[in-house]
Amino acid sequence: MDRGKDKKRVKSAAACLAGLAAFAMLACGGKPNGANLITEEEDSARVVTMFSPMEKTEPNVDNIARSAADKTVILAEKKLGVRVNYVTYTAENYQDKTYDDVALDRARNDMDDIYLLNPDVIKALGEEGKLMDLSGLECAKNLRDVVKTANTVDGKLVAIPQEVVAYGLFINKDMFDRYKLELPETPEDFLECCRIFKENGIETPVGANRWWLENFVLAQAYADLYNGGNTQAEIAALNSGESKYSDYMRPGFEFLKEMIDKGYVDAKKAYVSEAIEGEGPDFLAQKTPIVMAYWGAANTETAYGDADFEMLVIGFPSSRGQMPVMPMTGFAVGADAEHAQDAMDVLEVMLSDEALQIYAETNRVISPSNNVEVECVPALKPLKDRIEEDVFVLGANAGMKLEQWGNTCLIVRELLNGATVEECMAEFDRLQEESMGNERNTG
Amino acid sequence: MKKRKETGTTDKGIPLLFSIILVFAILGVLVFSVSHKITREMSASAIQNLSETLDLIKATIEAILNKEAEYQKLMAEEIARAEDPEEYIRAYNKNRTMVKLSFIWKGKTEGISNTGEAFSEEGLDFSAGDMVGELFISDSYLNYMGTWAYTMKCPVVKDGQEIATFYVEYVYDSLDRSLPEGFYNKKAMLYIMDAKTKRLVMKPKGMGERNAGHLNLEDFYRANDIQDEELRQEVEECLENGKNVMFYHNIRNKKALNYMWSVNGGTVYLIGYVPIEAIQQEGKTVNQNIFTVVAVMLIAFFLCCILYYFNQKEQNRIRREREKEREIHSIQLAEALQAAQIASNSKTMFLSNMSHDIRTPMNAVLGFTTLLARDAENPDKVREYTKKIAASGQHLLSLINDILDVSKIESGKVVLNVGVFTLNDLVSSVDAIIRPMAKAREQKFHVMVTGIRHETLMGDETRINQVLINLLSNAVKYTQPGGNVWLRMIGQKQRSAQYEHIRIEVEDDGYGMTPEYLEKIFDAFTRAENSTTNKVQGTGLGMAITKNIVELMGGAIDVSSQVDKGSLFRVDLELKIPEGQTDKQFWKEAGISRILAVESDAGACQDIRTWMADEEVTVDIAQGIEEAVHLLQGAAGEKYQMILLDVEGMGEDGIQAAGEIRGAVDAGIPILFLAANDIEEGEGTLQAQQMGVLVKPFFVSAFKAKVLELQEKGGGKEKEAESGNLEGLYFLAAEDNEINAEILSEIISMEGAGCEVVENGKLAVERFAHSRAGEFDAILMDVQMPVMNGYDATRAIRALERQDAKEIPIIAMTANAFAEDEKEALQAGMNVHLAKPIDVELLKQVISQYAKGRE
Repeated sequence: MDRGKDKKRVKSAAACLAGLAAFAMLACGGKPNGANLITEEEDSARVVTMFSPMEKTEPNVDNIARSAADKTVILAEKKLGVRVNYVTYTAENYQDKTYDDVALDRARNDMDDIYLLNPDVIKALGEEGKLMDLSGLECAKNLRDVVKTANTVDGKLVAIPQEVVAYGLFINKDMFDRYKLELPETPEDFLECCRIFKENGIETPVGANRWWLENFVLAQAYADLYNGGNTQAEIAALNSGESKYSDYMRPGFEFLKEMIDKGYVDAKKAYVSEAIEGEGPDFLAQKTPIVMAYWGAANTETAYGDADFEMLVIGFPSSRGQMPVMPMTGFAVGADAEHAQDAMDVLEVMLSDEALQIYAETNRVISPSNNVEVECVPALKPLKDRIEEDVFVLGANAGMKLEQWGNTCLIVRELLNGATVEECMAEFDRLQEESMGNERNTG
Repeated sequence: MKKRKETGTTDKGIPLLFSIILVFAILGVLVFSVSHKITREMSASAIQNLSETLDLIKATIEAILNKEAEYQKLMAEEIARAEDPEEYIRAYNKNRTMVKLSFIWKGKTEGISNTGEAFSEEGLDFSAGDMVGELFISDSYLNYMGTWAYTMKCPVVKDGQEIATFYVEYVYDSLDRSLPEGFYNKKAMLYIMDAKTKRLVMKPKGMGERNAGHLNLEDFYRANDIQDEELRQEVEECLENGKNVMFYHNIRNKKALNYMWSVNGGTVYLIGYVPIEAIQQEGKTVNQNIFTVVAVMLIAFFLCCILYYFNQKEQNRIRREREKEREIHSIQLAEALQAAQIASNSKTMFLSNMSHDIRTPMNAVLGFTTLLARDAENPDKVREYTKKIAASGQHLLSLINDILDVSKIESGKVVLNVGVFTLNDLVSSVDAIIRPMAKAREQKFHVMVTGIRHETLMGDETRINQVLINLLSNAVKYTQPGGNVWLRMIGQKQRSAQYEHIRIEVEDDGYGMTPEYLEKIFDAFTRAENSTTNKVQGTGLGMAITKNIVELMGGAIDVSSQVDKGSLFRVDLELKIPEGQTDKQFWKEAGISRILAVESDAGACQDIRTWMADEEVTVDIAQGIEEAVHLLQGAAGEKYQMILLDVEGMGEDGIQAAGEIRGAVDAGIPILFLAANDIEEGEGTLQAQQMGVLVKPFFVSAFKAKVLELQEKGGGKEKEAESGNLEGLYFLAAEDNEINAEILSEIISMEGAGCEVVENGKLAVERFAHSRAGEFDAILMDVQMPVMNGYDATRAIRALERQDAKEIPIIAMTANAFAEDEKEALQAGMNVHLAKPIDVELLKQVISQYAKGRE
């Protein structure tokens, strides 16, 4: 029996040695093909350039939102065999050109194929005819109406977003509870909350940056316009000059002015602060109970996703209660893009239901497609409830002749910089006049 | 010794193990060193390679810049020659490299551009004083196209006079097209940084590369976690001085070589990183291969070690087994040697004893023979001497018989002669031998038989007899005069219905034995030796013979003894019960169906009742005389055909009791006295009619014989005495030994018979063949004879064509005394076998039985 075991051992050892020998021969084998030592590399001829924003980089941190977009890009690259080259721009400081400025320049000079654009840029470039009509894409058929409305310029669908960007107020519920405060519905409620916070030693109840304060203004300005049942007529009146934008905007500016004057917002800091960079740390440190941000910032592993307190995202205060503001960014293709067709193909894939499902699942956002639904994080429920009730304000509407999102942002900056409400209103009036003049000129 | 061997093996193993470890340690260090050296060299080579690559890129960029500057100068010359320089500018369309051309007349601050708008130096920063060739180059800036650009300005000289300044805006994107798309297998990251603003003006465009920082040097540091102040300071200094920098730093947890490469005297920098694994790919591959080879070698080595280990293990196992075998053999040899020595010693001692034991009677024989010769005329003396010579001869004979028995048993030649026998015969014969011996030594011999269900059994009666005689004779021998010897036969619980399980106990209250002697009592050639027993004659073979016989019969023997207290031998035997041994007919014919036993011993009563129940004879028990008389006088009294009366120990009371019983029953009913063997028969009372003595222990066969005897007495039949009278008979004796022949002749003539002696078997055959019918009454045939032996002669005689040849008794008389000899004699046709020396009485008995029976 022992002898039998020994034989087995010897056989096993021999098999192992033979295996090793075979492995070594295979590992060291190989023969070059022909005399030419250079192997031809497959050159990926199809390249699509995509211009998109970029935050300042944190070491060893992946941006989930960008990862979601990247996944759809990878999907397109795989499906189409193209390579998507990223071109990015980030302003170093407030004195630098903004992303929107650079986007405008690049699009006007046909520098790239695909652009991720903010609503004001979409409107501007759309009106200039610098963007392709995307309504022919298959994916456009699945879009929600609100998305189409917001991105249609002169009858052309010039941009399609991967998410319906909804802005809201990010609330530290623990701090509200501490001071027995109800969540604010109206501007008055909001000011009262700020007063109580201020009285309780909260130096700056509202954290702000130079980009997103406009949401307060837009919420108050257009709460009735978008939710009063007479939207198209009111927009038509604004476009024709019968109504004045300044009349709509005034309450919001006065509200902001009061906030600034009472020290509820640090205007100087906000004026030079980039989004989240300025106010984010104080909010997470529970020094500031209220900030404003977009939907995706509430998701885990993003800006405010891992707060140490109970966080809720609610709409901006308005006469119609809490009001989400939805500005609608979007992907657009340059009208004279060098690789226009490839760019269209890439967008077709990136904006397909399949890609939007991936995006929405990764990013937990509201999808622009009617066919894609995903669960959101609990903090977003109040905001989501309002949107599902169809109660919201569009932050940008390409149907309005005066671009809203960008212009309001710039004028709010002037307010932050010390301008009076009247001066700001005058600016709106000037811009309205100018837009109508452009209309007349182009007409 | 074993331990020392194991230690020796371990001692060899440890240095070997250390040697292997040392070899592998050296090999490991060598491989590590080689691997490390390769890595180092490859790393140095890669750094060199990276430096060269960066130098090449740098040279490319500088060449582009210089060409741009040269081309711009040529254009400036063209403009100088142009009639309308402004028109020349306006007419120029932008291309991928030169995206904007501008012109300002000398002395003015504003000029024109090919893009149509007014142009001024505002927004362009030439303050750094950086130059390409002879042209000033501005800091980088984000141009109207939303991309990073730089402007070079060139004086427009006409007729030796500077008339204007010519500006051309270039975009970094044009450089991108001239640079490699990716190097180090596209794992290297390459940025172009404006040295003054530290902005990254050209970036990698691949996906995922955005994570590497994209804004400015600070963003690059932050993204790549380059936070070491000292390092950053050193880098800053190099950037200030337009020097190249290269350093190791982990990028996203991977070791990488970071670089900052000065271009155009530090105007712009190539910055980025290459993961070490990309730089050292070849080194890594080489190292991997080395480790693969080492791993393969290690595996192979360990396989060999394992094989070696198992081989050694197997060798050790075989060696251990051999050593074990050798040890066993040594032990066996030692034991054998010891046994041989013991045997030799025993035999030496035995021979010494034998010498003594044989010489003693032989001395007596020879001495008395001398005395016989001297006193031949004195008949009293002669009788006395011959009696003593005969006694010495008997002793010699027993010695020789024992020796023969032992040698036979030891050589395995003993064959049991199994036959049917009765315990009665066995006990009687033993009793007949032992009782006189005991009596001679004034000892009491007690015989008890209890609990035995069957009296008739199958076995070698002779050998059982031999066992009992040996044990009992020893008991007698080793018990002081006046002592007691017991023989008990006790029926044990049967293990099988076909076998009677009997325990035979032989006990004495004699000298006893020491524990040391008890251990070797059953060994051959041993004899208890002390001052007392030395007086006892014996061969020392008896117990060995006894044990061997008992074991041959499948039994067991053991002994217990205490010095001066006595000894007890126990023999357990299982003897087969023969079928159909009861003789119920006898009892019917004798008219006995019910008897009365007057017996005080309840055990004995039960035995009698059990045995007689098998014979279908009812036994009533009376515990005493009174009860017996009462029973006899009662209603059942007349039914008893026989009365057994145990009178042992009664003495005169027994006779009186017999009288009382006789008075209570019919005079025709026989009364048998159960008594010990030493009862004096012939007392007046017992002589009376219908009375007899039945010697204890009670056996059915003995009882039957006694009943028969009583009936014969009652019938007036006198049994003929079987006398051994040979008078008038004539024998033919074949005997080659003259002395034996003479002795035989004398003995026969002393008995009034005659014989004719022939010297061998052939003569015997011839003599018988020529004899008259009935001339010889029997032939006494020796076996070992010259010419023709006794067996052949017997066969020849039986084969003769004579009527009496088949019938004449042929009696073997031979020194071949074994059972086989007897068997062979009978097979040859002889009637009976007598061993030499001839027992005259036995001879007479046998001859009279066969010869007279023939008559």
